Amino acid sequence: MDIINTDVLIIGSGAAGLSASVYAARSGQKVLVIDKGAVGKSGSTVGAVQIASLGEWSLNGDSEETYFKDIEESGRGLSDPVLAKILAGEITERINELIAWGLKLDVDEKKEVAVFSTAGHSISRSVSARKGKTGLGILQTFLKKARSLKDNLNTWSDVITLELLTSSERVTGALVFDLTETKLSIIHAKTVILATGGMGQLYPVTSNPVQATGDGFSLGLGAGAALKDMEQVQFYPVSLKAPQSVAGFCISFYHYSKLYNKDGHRFMADYEPETLENTTRDKLSLAMASEVGQGRGTENGAVFMDVTHTTDRVKSDFPHEYEMCVDRGVDLRSNRAEVGPAAHFIMGGIQIDGNGASSVPGLYVTGETAGGLHGGNRLGNNALSECLVFGARAGQAAASESAERENRLFPSADVSEWLQKLTGDSPVRGKKGVSPYDIKRKIQSVMDEGAGVVRSDKGLHQARKKLEEIDVLLKEAKAPSLKPYSREVIDFIESRHMVRTAKAIVEAAMHRTESRGAHYNKDHPGLETKPYHTVVTYQDERFICLRQPLKGDR
Amino acid sequence: MSVIQVKIERDHYETSFFEVAYSTDMTVLNIIEEIYRHHDPAIAYRFSCRTGLCATCMMMINGKPGLSCMAMGKPGEDGYLTLAPLPKGHTIRDLVKEV
Ligand SMILES: Cc1cc2nc3c(=O)[nH]c(=O)nc-3n(C[C@H](O)[C@H](O)[C@H](O)COP(=O)(O)OP(=O)(O)OC[C@H]3O[C@@H](n4cnc5c(N)ncnc54)[C@H](O)[C@@H]3O)c2cc1C
Ligand code: FES
Repeated sequence: MDIINTDVLIIGSGAAGLSASVYAARSGQKVLVIDKGAVGKSGSTVGAVQIASLGEWSLNGDSEETYFKDIEESGRGLSDPVLAKILAGEITERINELIAWGLKLDVDEKKEVAVFSTAGHSISRSVSARKGKTGLGILQTFLKKARSLKDNLNTWSDVITLELLTSSERVTGALVFDLTETKLSIIHAKTVILATGGMGQLYPVTSNPVQATGDGFSLGLGAGAALKDMEQVQFYPVSLKAPQSVAGFCISFYHYSKLYNKDGHRFMADYEPETLENTTRDKLSLAMASEVGQGRGTENGAVFMDVTHTTDRVKSDFPHEYEMCVDRGVDLRSNRAEVGPAAHFIMGGIQIDGNGASSVPGLYVTGETAGGLHGGNRLGNNALSECLVFGARAGQAAASESAERENRLFPSADVSEWLQKLTGDSPVRGKKGVSPYDIKRKIQSVMDEGAGVVRSDKGLHQARKKLEEIDVLLKEAKAPSLKPYSREVIDFIESRHMVRTAKAIVEAAMHRTESRGAHYNKDHPGLETKPYHTVVTYQDERFICLRQPLKGDR
Repeated sequence: MSVIQVKIERDHYETSFFEVAYSTDMTVLNIIEEIYRHHDPAIAYRFSCRTGLCATCMMMINGKPGLSCMAMGKPGEDGYLTLAPLPKGHTIRDLVKEV
């Protein structure tokens, strides 16, 4: 097995991982960034359209204080004020730095930076680059900067992380599988930063890329880290449900639309008579899922979106989305589209402090894999800002910790299980079992039924039981083909991470016996008086979930 | 559901033929996924966003470079949907290029 040494290991190359890499490498430490896909092209960041900001372009009346208040308000009591304050305080500096490195913000007709309004922000403060391909623009700016630091900064595509390695309770590196060479390697590092993004692929309909299988949460659990508020999964309300090839594609123009159930009733009149379709994501998702849950959805479990009264506006304001619909046979001029909520983002994640440090020494976490900033509801366009600010902080903090440590610790890695599974002499090889692809599909349907938009006590119990059954299936699973980059070996590894992360979400959801933020349990529709966090850890192959009072409460 | 004949030009000048269950709303990527599920679990292909943004799913489709997640699966003039890796650079295997 190959052994690779570095000072800082960064797992994941979205906005968060790349931000961390640049700031860590500037300090002179050796940095290695790995990604299971193509570096800088495989995460949710690629699809992001706008970023919330403060800067010279800010409107009169905007300030750190109002931005902070908006985040707090949106978080339904669960947002960590320490993190929110840092975000509001440092976003200007981070964006200005990106601009200095070459990012060009989009401008309006007056050639001034275009500032957009976003639901939930009390004032317009979103900006964009590359005509709305903001995420891509940010990634390319970081990659360019990374190339200028190449003496200290290396990237490695197509290598998937199996486990974090620990030694005397400290994270000391990672066990990885090189998809090209089809071999296991050990990476020794003084500090590790997890930046593996989200988990939308735990659900059958998602806006997330295929890589968003929740690996980071599972890796963190395996190393002893605590996961906070994992039940807080945000669903994007209006996404296409059919045809299958674009299922999960987000529709931004839903506030122009009329939504109907299968009986032709415009149901938002029953839920939000004042605002109708122009309401917040959580309310819309809940209404749509309730209609389908009560048997008023289509065969595909969807509702209908109608924009025939305003197609011209849709076409001129959202040309890319309009074309995509038409291309795939959804002619919005004459037809209604089948739409439903798609798994979009997780507010919960690994518990961190202001520098991205987890509770496990040597392990830092940033971006969507970290929890706490957004609480029970993420404000639109705050995910990218989070990646910039906390990516930079985690990169700097991990690098200075690495600089203080003389030696790498050598983990007593027990890699035998993975070796057995991923090498020729594994006893499971050749044994017939369910394919890794089918296991993934099973996990998705369990999560959809038991831990989707509308949850119940019974549904969650069943989900827990079914995930146990899937665990058994996994143990007997068909061994994957080990040819270079075989899709099957990727599914095989990801399905293991998916089950562990899915279980954490279900445990957390069972322990929140109220409906708060994105978590709605119909058996507990109200709020409990004292807010609390759910905290999940994993010890000796068992999940432990506790309620943690908010800071300052006792 | 009908079928589509698919030809994949793989490494070492090896060509594989597949007869794949097909409906007209399938993209090239959907067809490859069908091959993965029902014909060849070891097939190698790369993709991420499924919405035409990341460009990692780019390959030769009926002789022209295209995004497999955006192109609808249609047979070429010879009656086959022909897929091959992009000509430039090192091919890891099947349809996957080194990045
Ligand atoms: C369609 C869409 C639109 C969005 N629009 C917006 C928007 O307009 N504004 C906004 O602020 N937010 C938006 N979001 C949310 C935002 O894009 C994400 O939350 C954010 O980009 C996450 O960045 P990240 O760096 O944490 O993770 P990602 O960008 O997801 O990157 C994670 C990386 O880690 C890699 N990885 C994962 N597991 C492993 C492993 N085991 N081993 C090695 N590598 C691994 C992945 O391949 C991936 O490249 C959107 C999300 C989506 C899906
Ligand atoms: S999968 Fe991203 S462009 Fe096709």
